[in-house]
Amino acid sequence: MKKIINAPADYVNEMLTGLSAAHPALERVDGEPRAMRHTDAPVSGKVGVVTGGGSGHLPLFTGYIGKGLLDACAIGGVFEGPTVDSCIAAIKAADSGKGVLCLYGNYGGDRMNFDLACEFLDGEIRTATVLGTDDIASAEPTERHKRRGVAGIVYAFKVAGAAASSGTALDEVAAIAGRTVDRTRSIGVALTGCRIPGSAAASFSIGPDEIEFGMGIHGEPGIWRDKLKPADALADEMVDRILEEKPDDSGDRVSVLVNGLGATPLEELFILYRRVDQRLRDAGFTIVRPLVGPFVTSMEMAGASLSICFLDFEIEKALAAPAECPFWRV
Amino acid sequence: MPFLASLTSMSLTAECFRDGIERIRAGLPELETELNAADALLGDGDTGGMIGRVVTTIAAAIKPDSDLEASLATAARAAASATGSSLGTLVAIGLLTSSRFAKGKQSLSWTETGAVLEEAAAAMLKRGNAAIGDKTVVDAVAAVAKALLANPEPAMAGAVAIAGAQAALDEFRQRPCRIGRARMFAERSIGMDDPGMLAVARIVERLAVAPAG
Repeated sequence: MKKIINAPADYVNEMLTGLSAAHPALERVDGEPRAMRHTDAPVSGKVGVVTGGGSGHLPLFTGYIGKGLLDACAIGGVFEGPTVDSCIAAIKAADSGKGVLCLYGNYGGDRMNFDLACEFLDGEIRTATVLGTDDIASAEPTERHKRRGVAGIVYAFKVAGAAASSGTALDEVAAIAGRTVDRTRSIGVALTGCRIPGSAAASFSIGPDEIEFGMGIHGEPGIWRDKLKPADALADEMVDRILEEKPDDSGDRVSVLVNGLGATPLEELFILYRRVDQRLRDAGFTIVRPLVGPFVTSMEMAGASLSICFLDFEIEKALAAPAECPFWRV
Repeated sequence: MPFLASLTSMSLTAECFRDGIERIRAGLPELETELNAADALLGDGDTGGMIGRVVTTIAAAIKPDSDLEASLATAARAAASATGSSLGTLVAIGLLTSSRFAKGKQSLSWTETGAVLEEAAAAMLKRGNAAIGDKTVVDAVAAVAKALLANPEPAMAGAVAIAGAQAALDEFRQRPCRIGRARMFAERSIGMDDPGMLAVARIVERLAVAPAG
């Protein structure tokens, strides 16, 4: 796996410098190179929305800083949680005095460091935490709190950002973000692995004619591994597994994200989307604001994921609110 | 773990803590390779590189004139600034807890060090939302703590610490991982060493061997 990089140790910092140079609305937080803020943050009278996580997933996490989305982000090394100092810097950069929602994926390092940061800031900044837990392959339905956060967290970013921008208080922003996570399900497939800069080998190996169904965005093992199947068969299994777990009050309106993991071309994502769209319509759903493209990647991993957000009135309204970040505009 | 310092001394002092960090740093290339290989079987193959970064940052941050409490606290902050990975953060939490117990003391006997490690393990479990028996770094730290607590003879501290860590590694190899990424293929984790537990065992070995000359 060849890479266009300089020294592996400079991978994250050089990436952030380039991102900021290309998108000047995103800037490093003073004194903390691994925290990024929107130049407008903190916005007076608005609840701050902050995320964080490992590098290697752009547009996630930093790429969703923008109007109507996130205010700041703590950035870790490749596939590593952000440090506690990065989390503190991001939370401080986002706080206007109305409190800050920490909204990130359910991973050990991320959780420990954000929790520590919130404890250090206790009494100074009011915080609330919502964890992304949308990956249905990562734990049984009876243990949903153990599930990991993958591409579906983008829906929670959008909804929390819209709620905060409309002047909603911290508790309600956290509540609607939590409800969005609860109503979103994702599952992914991987065709090839990726390599962490500086390591000798790919993060996992897979045969040239194989696919792993249910694999996570760091190469976490999935549900089965087999010979590659046609796109329609994969789309059918992804849709079926998600619909088996749809919320009791799912309603009949959904948004759908067909996400590319990095190396899979848009053409293949639209081939998948075509079948997903057909299957969901056949099942009686109306699809609202579909998203197709690389929203949450894993460097050069080939593969795709499907996320379905089962809408309610408020979530649908929040998805339609104006928003703008380097990789997404509504 | 680094906070065991050099087990060839008669007790844990600031000086032998620094010496211990230096010994670990000197052996890093080999340690990194072994831990990366172990992690490639259960994770994404970067545990060695991460531990290397933590040790190098600690070595650069510790000041020669600091007392034991300050040295441990500096090491904790350095570890926390080097990584936000779960294992690295747990190391920082273990060091920070240890520094609190070293407050006002010039040295800790190895039995006292065992008690400190027991507290460190408890703090790591709480923060990591884990339990003894989950097959994590904490199972190895707890095993070393138990071995040191049960041993009244300072000259034997190195040998009992090595034996404790190795026994934990051997016992847990045949058990499934119950937390973190590897829990998702718990059955396949049977027969493999947890990279965090392996790190403890290898580091204790380095600390317990008397320096040449």
